[in-house]
Amino acid sequence: MTPIYLDNASTTQPDPRVLAAMAPYSSEHFGNPAATHAHGRTAARAVERARGILADALAAQPEEIVFCSGGTEANNFAILGTAWAAPAGKRHLVVSAIEHASVLAPCAWLETQGWQVTRLPVDSEGFVDPGDVRRALRPETVLVSVGQANNEIGTLQPIAAIAAICAEQGVPLHSDACQSFTRMPPPPADLIVVNAHKIHGPKGIGALRIRTGLHLEPLLRGGGQESGLRAGTLNTPGIAGLGSAVTLGSTEESIAIAKLRDDLAAMVLDAIPGARLNGPRGNRLCTNLNVCLPGCSGRALVAALDRLGVRASRGSACASGSTRPSHVLTALGLSPQDADSSLRLTLSKWTTTEEIANATAALQEAVRTLRSHP
Amino acid sequence: MTRQREPDEHLDLRGVRCPANSARALVRLECMDAGQLLEILVDDGEPIAHVPEALDEEGHRVVVQERAEAAWRLLVEVGG
Ligand SMILES: Cc1ncc(COP(=O)(O)O)c(C=O)c1O
Repeated sequence: MTPIYLDNASTTQPDPRVLAAMAPYSSEHFGNPAATHAHGRTAARAVERARGILADALAAQPEEIVFCSGGTEANNFAILGTAWAAPAGKRHLVVSAIEHASVLAPCAWLETQGWQVTRLPVDSEGFVDPGDVRRALRPETVLVSVGQANNEIGTLQPIAAIAAICAEQGVPLHSDACQSFTRMPPPPADLIVVNAHKIHGPKGIGALRIRTGLHLEPLLRGGGQESGLRAGTLNTPGIAGLGSAVTLGSTEESIAIAKLRDDLAAMVLDAIPGARLNGPRGNRLCTNLNVCLPGCSGRALVAALDRLGVRASRGSACASGSTRPSHVLTALGLSPQDADSSLRLTLSKWTTTEEIANATAALQEAVRTLRSHP
Repeated sequence: MTRQREPDEHLDLRGVRCPANSARALVRLECMDAGQLLEILVDDGEPIAHVPEALDEEGHRVVVQERAEAAWRLLVEVGG
């Protein structure tokens, strides 16, 4: 049986069109985009073409787009760059409790440097209450960070309402959109983070949108690339790949994936006694399903499914080796035991009806085996 | 004296460094039809030294180059 890949929130298979768009920049068009000769110009053109595509996709201006090495760097840059540029005396951040590790970790590090961090709770489906954002703001708050779509449970946050509060109070909003990028309209945020490998593009490339007027200190200093905001020779093949990947998503595609995901959810919840949905029923990212399967450990489930040819995960790829229960699932109010019995199945534009039927059968078998030999 | 034609599109590249400024202009020119006019604003110094030359080398024609306060105004005809 050809493997069934249902770990698309972790990373997606590159689209052949993206690989084709990248290839020339690793071969004949190898020039450094910072060089002013014809080789450089060819590379710089590819970079600027991609910058324009990104700007359009993020409802931003080209000069607001900074390319970097991916979602992790862009999140670190948004948070640390803002913090380092903050006026003395303003040392407070607001962040949702279910953000990706690349958001939470820089916030936690800032705390060790004397910053105050308010972590917003979420309800049982993972939603942040915009009223909590308003109540958390202080005169010394420099940034609010709420991701558009959660990577473990797919919750789509009320970003427009949160953005309105932030705008009214004059506090910039940062939104990690790595999971939702191209699958829905961009978040109306001042700082937006995206990467390519979640949207059938290459790994190691991403971008930060910095709204004009915001000042961030760079993480990387050196040759002055990206208007001095991110030094380092630009990853031209990656940037060309990111630009190409951005042009591929469509609303119709997202609707079709959501339909398949709903079918998978219905089949799994129907086929497996005791199975429960984790995360929201509505306002959920089209690619995401997360279920609690009591009586099975998530780790054992992932391994059993793998042997049956189905690639799934317990949650965030970065946390999948960890023994701690997911911070996202526990924030919803799940017990550590239920959090440990949870499984994430994430679809892509290439997932088929046949695959979800076969994956459901495999999951049924894996659960039956694990429950009879715990 | 012939009257200058009105530009079809405008691009403000003030504050954009070399060679991103030429690259951005070339990307815009790619999306226009041969014979159309693009008005570009570029900074003094390196940009005005490089941008017209780069556009010329890529087959476009700089028909006007003039001072516009602290910057420069270029009128570029899209090459075929
Ligand atoms: C929501 C979210 N943010 C950030 C990242 C990190 O991005 P990258 O792998 O490009 O560093 C990921 C996944 O890896 C993610 O799912």
